[in-house]
Amino acid sequence: MSDEEPLSEAPVIIAKGLRKMYGPHLALDDINLEIPRGAVGILGPNGAGKSTLFKCLLGLITTTSGEGSVLGHDIRTEGEQIRSKIGYMPEYNALDPNLFAVDQVRYAGELLGMNSKNATQRAHEVLEYVGLKDQRYRKIETFSTGMLQATKLACALVHDPDILICDEPTNGLDQRAREFMLQTLNRTVREGKRSVLMSSHVMDDVQDLCDSIVMIHKGRIVIQSSIDDLVEQVDKEIELVIWGGASKMEKELSSVGLETRRLGRIIRVKLENDSTIDKALEAAVSAGVQVRQMKEYEPDLEDVFLLVMDKLGSQIKGTEDLMTAEHTGGD
Amino acid sequence: MSEEKVDLEGGVTRMEAAFGSGDGDEEATAVVASSEASLGQIFEQKYRPWKGELGPRWMRNYAIFRHHVYGVFTSKGHRQYHPMVRLLILVIFLASLTPIPMLFLSSLIGDEGGFFEKMWGINRYNLWGQVLGYFPRNLCMWPLLTAVVVGGMISDDRQHGTSAIYFSRPISRMDYISMKYLSVAIILGFVIVFSYFAYYTSAIVFKAEGWAYLADTLPIFLGGMLAGAILVITYTSIGLALSSISQSRFFAAIGFLSIIYGTKLVSLLVELQFDTTFMYAMSPYDCLAHMGQSLLGIPPNYEHPVSISVVSLIVMNSAAIWLLVSRVTSLEVTRE
Repeated sequence: MSDEEPLSEAPVIIAKGLRKMYGPHLALDDINLEIPRGAVGILGPNGAGKSTLFKCLLGLITTTSGEGSVLGHDIRTEGEQIRSKIGYMPEYNALDPNLFAVDQVRYAGELLGMNSKNATQRAHEVLEYVGLKDQRYRKIETFSTGMLQATKLACALVHDPDILICDEPTNGLDQRAREFMLQTLNRTVREGKRSVLMSSHVMDDVQDLCDSIVMIHKGRIVIQSSIDDLVEQVDKEIELVIWGGASKMEKELSSVGLETRRLGRIIRVKLENDSTIDKALEAAVSAGVQVRQMKEYEPDLEDVFLLVMDKLGSQIKGTEDLMTAEHTGGD
Repeated sequence: MSEEKVDLEGGVTRMEAAFGSGDGDEEATAVVASSEASLGQIFEQKYRPWKGELGPRWMRNYAIFRHHVYGVFTSKGHRQYHPMVRLLILVIFLASLTPIPMLFLSSLIGDEGGFFEKMWGINRYNLWGQVLGYFPRNLCMWPLLTAVVVGGMISDDRQHGTSAIYFSRPISRMDYISMKYLSVAIILGFVIVFSYFAYYTSAIVFKAEGWAYLADTLPIFLGGMLAGAILVITYTSIGLALSSISQSRFFAAIGFLSIIYGTKLVSLLVELQFDTTFMYAMSPYDCLAHMGQSLLGIPPNYEHPVSISVVSLIVMNSAAIWLLVSRVTSLEVTRE
C-alpha cells in the first residue's frame, strides 16, 4: 500500500515487558522485542509461545501485562488497524475446498474491505505472483500441498500488507515447491520492500530468507540477533572423515585434550589454536586410522539452535525432533 | 508445433527407409514437426504493489453476508450449497406458495364462502397455519429448510480451518456471528415470511379487496408476521448454536431436527399419558405455535398460560445465543 515511501529504520514491531497468562500457565514472560524491517525468523520448540506471540501481535488476545505496537498501532487497543496492515499466512489449512482459487483470494480481499472489483483484479495479480496463474480456476480441493500453501500466501498478500506473518510456510512442501516459496518470500522482502516474520522448524529456510532471528524458549526470548552475529559466536571446528576406527580416534583426540563431536565416521574438533590441526593428525597416527577428508566446518543456524537449546537444557538432538508428520509431509 | 524442412543431405527419409522406395533423390528434404517452445524464462515473477484504500467495517460485513446469501442462488464465487440443498430450498419455497394458486382459483370460480375460501382464504386460522401450521409446514418444511441452511454455516469453518481467514483480518467475533446470523435469517425469512406476505397480498389482489378489508385483516396479518419473525429468529439461534459446536454439517442438521421433532414427540407422549400440556413448554415448535395463537387471536391448544411459552422461547434463544457466542469465541486463528 505504501511502496513509494522511503524505508524507515524504525522497528516495525515493538514489545516491552509483554506477559500472557492462560489461567495459571505462563505462555509469554517478559517479552522485549524490537523487530526491524526485513525478514525475521521466529524460532523455538513446540509450545515455546510462538503462536501466542503471533496472536498478541495480531491483537487477537489481550496481554496480561506489558505493552507493544505493530506499525505504530497499540496491540491492546488497535487490533483491527493492525490486522488491516498485516497479511497472516496460517500454518494449518484455512481454505474453503469448494471455492476456486481466484474466488478464495478475492473473498479474502473482500474480508479486508476491498471492493469486489479491486479484490478480483488483485486476486489475479497475486495468484500469478505465487505461481498459480494457470490454476486460478481450479477448485482448491484438487490442489497439492504446495498449491495450498501458495494460495494461503496469495490470500495474505492480496491487500499488499506492510508485514507478512508466515507460520511454517514450507510445511510439507517438496524441494522444488519449498525453493519457490522461499524465492517468493525473498522477492516480497527485497523487491516489494515488505517485512516478513516467519516461524519455521526448518533452520535452512530461516537461514535462506531471514537476516535476523528471535528465539523463544518456554515463553521467554533467549536470543534476538542477526544470523551472521550468531554464527560468529559459535566455536570454529574442523571436520574429519575417519576410516578404520572412529571410536579409537575419538578417544585419542580426547586424550590429547581436544573437544569433539562425533556423527558416525565424521568427527568435528573444536579449533582452539593453530596447533589443533597438528594435534589431530598426530592423534590419527597414534590411533592408526585414515583421515580421508579434513576441512574447516562452517557452522549454520541449526548448530546455533542446538547449542542454545542444549545450554537451556532442552532434550533436542536435532530440528527433526521438533517436527510432526505435518511438517515433513508424512515422511 | 510448427513444421520445418530438414535437409537430409542425400540420405533417405524415414518413410523411404521403411518402405524401401524413393532412392536416388539427391535433394531430399523431409517435412517434420518441431517444438515451438524455446528455452528461456516463461514466468516472470514480479511483485506488484497495491495502492488502493480498504473500505470500512460495513463493507467487510457485507462481504460475509453476500458470500453466504448469494451462494443459494449461484455457488460460483460464493459459498457452495449442494445442488440438492438448493433444489430443496426451491421446492420448499414453491410449496409454501401453494395457497396462492388456490386463491386465484377461488377468485376465478367465484367461490365466495365456499370450500376454497374456507381452506385457503384469509382468516386467522389460515394465516396462523401458513406460518405455524404443523402439517406440512412445521413438520416437513421449516425444520428441513433450517437444517440444510445452517448445517455447515459455522461447522464448515471449524472443519476447514477457514475461521483463520476471518479472524486474521479486521473481522471481530461479533461481526462474524452477526453476519452469519443475518445470512441464515434472511434465507429463512425469504421463504417463511416472504411467502406469508405474498399469500396475504395475493388474496387482496385476486379478490380486489379494498381499504375496509385491509383495516380488518392487517392487525391479524401483522401478528402472524411477528410470529413468523420470531420463528425465524428461534430456529436460526438453535441451528447456528448446533453448527458452532461441531465440525460436521450433518451433526448440526440432524441435531436441529432431533430437537424440533424430539421435544414435540416427548411432549405429545407426556400429554397422552398424563393429560397435561405443560411439557410443550420445552418444545420450540409448540412454544412458537402457542405464542402465534395468542398473537393472531385464536383459541390456544394448550392449557398452560402463554407467558410460559414466551419465557421458554426467551430462555431457548438466550441459551442458544450464549452457546453460539462462546463457541465462536473459541475458534482459533493459529490452530484449529
